[in-house]
Amino acid sequence: MITFRLLEVAAAFLVLGAATAFFTRRRRKVCGWVSVAAMGGAAVLMIAVAVRAFAGAADAEVSVLPIASLRSALSVRVDALSALFLCVSGPVAWMTTLYSVEYMSRYTKDSVAKYFPVLLLLFFSIAGTVVTTDLFWFLVFWEVMTLTSFFLVIYERENRESHRAGLKYFIWNQGAALGMVAAALVLWRHAGSFGFAAIRDALGALQVSNPLLAHTVLFLFFAGFATKAGLLPFWNWLPDAYAAAPSSATAAFGGTMSKLGVYGLLRVFLHLLPLGSFTTSWGVVIACVGLASLFIGTLAALQQDDTKRLMSYHAIGQVGYMFLGIGAGLALLRTNPLLGTMGLVAGLFHMVNNCFYKSCLFLGAGAVEFRTGGRSLAAMSGGLGGVMSATMACSLIASLAIAGVPPLNGFASKWLMYVTGILGGEVSFLLPVAALVAMFISLVTLASFLKYLGGAFLGAATEVKGIREVPMTMLAPQVVLATLCIAAGLLPIVPLRLVHQAVVGLPSAAGLPALSALVGPGPNLALVKDGVVLATWAPMPVALVLLVLGAAAFFGLQRAGGAATRTVPVWAGGEEEEPALMRYRADSLYRPFKDAFHGMYPHVPPLQLSVPVFVRRTLDLDRWLFRPIARGTADAARGVSRTHVGIPQVYLLWIIVGAVAVIMTILLVSGGAP
Amino acid sequence: MNAAYLRTAAIAVLDVALLLVLSPLFEGVLRKLKAALHSRIGPPVVQPFVDTLKLLGKDDLLTVHSRAYAVTPALALASVLVLGTMVPIGGVPPLGFAGDVVGIIYVAGVGAVLLILTAFASGSPYAAVGGSREMMALLSVEPVVAVTLVVGAMKAGTLSAGGISAWNASHGPTISMTLAGLALFLAVQAQAGKLPFDIPEADQEIMGGPLVEQSGPRLALFRWAMWVRQLVFTLLLVELFFPWPRSGVFLLDLVSALAKAMLVLVLVAVVDVVNPRLKVEQAMGYYLRVAFSSLAALAFAVVGM
Repeated sequence: MITFRLLEVAAAFLVLGAATAFFTRRRRKVCGWVSVAAMGGAAVLMIAVAVRAFAGAADAEVSVLPIASLRSALSVRVDALSALFLCVSGPVAWMTTLYSVEYMSRYTKDSVAKYFPVLLLLFFSIAGTVVTTDLFWFLVFWEVMTLTSFFLVIYERENRESHRAGLKYFIWNQGAALGMVAAALVLWRHAGSFGFAAIRDALGALQVSNPLLAHTVLFLFFAGFATKAGLLPFWNWLPDAYAAAPSSATAAFGGTMSKLGVYGLLRVFLHLLPLGSFTTSWGVVIACVGLASLFIGTLAALQQDDTKRLMSYHAIGQVGYMFLGIGAGLALLRTNPLLGTMGLVAGLFHMVNNCFYKSCLFLGAGAVEFRTGGRSLAAMSGGLGGVMSATMACSLIASLAIAGVPPLNGFASKWLMYVTGILGGEVSFLLPVAALVAMFISLVTLASFLKYLGGAFLGAATEVKGIREVPMTMLAPQVVLATLCIAAGLLPIVPLRLVHQAVVGLPSAAGLPALSALVGPGPNLALVKDGVVLATWAPMPVALVLLVLGAAAFFGLQRAGGAATRTVPVWAGGEEEEPALMRYRADSLYRPFKDAFHGMYPHVPPLQLSVPVFVRRTLDLDRWLFRPIARGTADAARGVSRTHVGIPQVYLLWIIVGAVAVIMTILLVSGGAP
Repeated sequence: MNAAYLRTAAIAVLDVALLLVLSPLFEGVLRKLKAALHSRIGPPVVQPFVDTLKLLGKDDLLTVHSRAYAVTPALALASVLVLGTMVPIGGVPPLGFAGDVVGIIYVAGVGAVLLILTAFASGSPYAAVGGSREMMALLSVEPVVAVTLVVGAMKAGTLSAGGISAWNASHGPTISMTLAGLALFLAVQAQAGKLPFDIPEADQEIMGGPLVEQSGPRLALFRWAMWVRQLVFTLLLVELFFPWPRSGVFLLDLVSALAKAMLVLVLVAVVDVVNPRLKVEQAMGYYLRVAFSSLAALAFAVVGM
């Protein structure tokens, strides 16, 4: 009950905050700070709820707002998986809201009434989605999430690009959501209720009685979640929509919303679906789609020039890692519980890490756009690091984290994934190959983010006059997120405990090996089996040795000779050239490599539906109804106007003609009798 | 327990010292050898030391000023030394408890990342070209290294580098491990930055590539890091894939490992002398073929050969 009360207060914070923000819309900063306060209160409560859930406080399911005719009610229960998503998305949401206060001053033509209240409602719906245990309300919150994020994508009123992107986003996600509604209705018919527990029983029975229908239902759910996460066949909307929305909203999408695809996947395949042969076969499908997605998404990212589009394609690639880990885990779960659990934990841990570095990267790209107004890497002059050093430091840490450079957090989750893949070699030849592909792609990620850093931040600061560091309220969120990247990288055991608890708390995953069987007691990660160390990663000693040796090399060798330092201009082969003329542009980097993979890039032609001509004509009311009426009315009016020419004699004539006509009419009507 | 810790720490210090001292010495020997093949007299064997010492006292010419930029050479050297302590030398990797082969692959990347970041930061177009090529070299060679290490891990049933080395030493040669070893040998040529794969530096073409704006102590440390790197990768090759004979006596194994590494480096130098530089596309195509061929080793490993 306490959990429910806390969530109620959090919801009240968000909804009332949205209302207050709407009424204070005339004063942009006030509106922003109201939202920050509301989101902050809600985030603290969400963390409190999560702490309670992780501590094992078993709150019973609370149901309110019953709808008798649907046999559904808003039931709320926070298990460890919900708690994990609450405690990750709460702080990330708070940080993006804080960042927005200053960032939204960029958009002078558009009112913040379209932004802050909608953002708060988006976070409200995200929290609602992860805490409900009723499929009907899950879908309601899911739809609210799609709708609010749609309004954030089309925020700029005068930007046609963003409207197109928004429409595309809406159509893709709405289509996918309709599929989920259909699947939910099928399950409702068999279960008689929308409650998760009843549906789990019904789906278990359906697997036996009608496997085809069960597969269809699972496919519709998978398609819905894959669309929201931006996985390969359903990814088309993502780069456009992410690039169109304001950067702060994009960070919220990448850091919180798209991760609900992962939440839904785990909820359906490990909660609604009882463990069985279906789990294994769908695990293979999910892993294959994830692998394809990470391969193609990341290679496509290397081609991008626009900073936000580059990161959006990486979002596709990164979600591929998560689905690969979770899919491999689901596939191995029955035959090899140890590796299965490792895969699941690796995928979900990667999701947590991704929330931190992905939102930090989007905020960094937003900061660059805020100060320079540009997003094209080829057009950037570089050298921003000289004037925006704190932003660069955060973006550098997040870039290295996403590329999996040790000892940051991205490496910790990738390490788990590779270990699963390589040790899974005894089960299937494909698992080590998948691990090798993932390793190669992590290098491509590195290449792509070095290009971003090089294009935007590095180089001589010659053309950055008048550019300053972003304000504190925009800097602080980036610093917090970058710090989380380092902390989760150095002490991976802490987030891993929560992630493992979230996985094994699910009904179909009960009884899986304990975390200490996977990675030892900590703080170092070590997979030990029968006294033999199979794999090990200890970030703290590595970081410590690196720092000690680095300091020794710096003071003992590099500065030992006491060499004097001098500042010199860049050497250009003896020529005296303007820096702008001899800059090596970011789009020239890795040309031969990009050309080698040119055929790989997905090119999906825009969706074109061809409707028969007569249907279009029939539906086109303009053509056969409105336009003829309008034209007729206009012609008649023109005819009438022609009679009014301003000459008295003509008017006199009209009067006579009219009088005659009236008399004739009266005579005709009365039939000649007076 | 304490004695074990002390022993590990002592071996770590010994490894770091050996790598620092021997890597320039090996480079000196290779230069002498190359000169002999060219019918020249060549510089004395200690020339790399002399160069390094001189560079450490020279003026440091900087195109950009930043605290992060100032420490990249020291960190690059430190990162290859950390890599060296994760790789078994004489059968024992002192930092083996901290990182397995996945860790080795990724820590090896750290040095490259620092070099590329330094190149981009220096603001020179030559350095940018060099950095871009360095990244492409990494993209083509690293898959080969990864495949071979995964083969080792699958054969030995453990990801720990020391474990793979010990397994191979006790089980004798197998088809898959030999194939993987050959593939890794081909990769060492590029990891050492030798012809025909010295594309990122390409002195005659882009004047040292990433290092064009580095001078004085910075240049010395980056070069030193490169020498250590080539020695570490050679040691990885001989310790994991050709560890025989293993006596069990640490010092004896250490000397034999270093002798074998020297032999491999001599082969590398001979290939260097008789080959002209390839273009980036050619090198990528070459390593793509090597990577796919080394998948054969993976296939053999799967069927247990």
